[in-house]
Amino acid sequence: MIALLGLVLGVVAGLFLEPTVPTWMQPYLPIAVVAALDAVFGGLRALLDGIFDDRVFVVSFVANVLVAALIVYLGDQLGVGAQLSTGVVVVLGIRIFSNAASIRRHLFSA
Amino acid sequence: MLLLTSLVEDSLDDGYARAAARRAAGEPPSRYGPVLLLAGLVAVGLLLATAAVQTRERADTVAEARDALTAEIEDRSAANDRVERQLDRERARAARERRQQLRATDEGATVERRLTRLETVTGAGAVSGPGFVLRLDDAPADPSGADVDPRTDQSDEGRVSDRDLQTLVNEVWASGAEAVAINGQRLTALSAIRSAGEAVLVDFRPLSPPYEVTAVGPDDMRATFVDGFGGSYLAVLRDYGIDYAVTDEDELLLPASAGVTVRYAVSPRRLPQDPDESSDSEQNRESTP
Repeated sequence: MIALLGLVLGVVAGLFLEPTVPTWMQPYLPIAVVAALDAVFGGLRALLDGIFDDRVFVVSFVANVLVAALIVYLGDQLGVGAQLSTGVVVVLGIRIFSNAASIRRHLFSA
Repeated sequence: MLLLTSLVEDSLDDGYARAAARRAAGEPPSRYGPVLLLAGLVAVGLLLATAAVQTRERADTVAEARDALTAEIEDRSAANDRVERQLDRERARAARERRQQLRATDEGATVERRLTRLETVTGAGAVSGPGFVLRLDDAPADPSGADVDPRTDQSDEGRVSDRDLQTLVNEVWASGAEAVAINGQRLTALSAIRSAGEAVLVDFRPLSPPYEVTAVGPDDMRATFVDGFGGSYLAVLRDYGIDYAVTDEDELLLPASAGVTVRYAVSPRRLPQDPDESSDSEQNRESTP
């Protein structure tokens, strides 16, 4: 309940406040979104597995976003930013998919 | 493979399992848990919404910028066309007035005659006369779909290229043409036939097919051209599906070249001899053994 409230609150705040993202941060926004989604799906799966933990969720979210952004930043500095972004998206995408599959098995037992 | 397998199988953070183990061992849950969770999810929601807003805004600005650029390109090319037309008018007026002024004196009349002759030869003035028209068109799109560029529906092989036109125009000159124009663009000694992307440019102006090479020259020019290398080149082009037609014309009007400008070459301060005289004397020298 708190979780849903927090999510809705965040979305509403984002839509109404329309915070301006500094230009230097803009390339990392899509990666941060994918990393956040990974954390959310991981948390959802843990919830259904019955092992959800608030602290782990928040830490994994923050760490995911930071590490993903760091990898892309490093890639940008090395001149392979696009490739590393693809790498991050692929890895996180696979994780999201397998977590989503696990969630699906829990919800529909199929 | 190992990496991929572990990626798929250990998709859940180890932290959850460890936290569950700690809880099972009797460790009390964190007091700030719910607050932390709320803050984390607010952050997630904020991130998602911001990204959504950002993406939409960026798409809008990109579209706006593109529209603005397109409009500017259209405006500028319209302005260019206007200025060009004005330039043509002014040039014609200047030529007319120069002619009038020169005709006023005997010396001027001689200069004017020479000027007209030079303009005719160099392409700086319009000419008319008998000659032929060579029409070339790109091959129609191949219905079988082979070798067709899916974006343009055109086969690369069947397109008239700048090199085709260069070769053909060279052959037209070699066949005795005195003035040549492509699609109304008069060719001079400084003209360039080039390509940019898929378009053929003459003097940096894009042409659109079908191409019309008009040439003024002697009566046997057409026969020389068709029987020579030009004709065989055209036959090769026909193998690629490029259609052509050569028609004789009694009276062709070739326009003046848009700009015959030399930037570095100047006429020498002291002419060695009058060009007409020198050519005469050369002929004389050749004829006298």
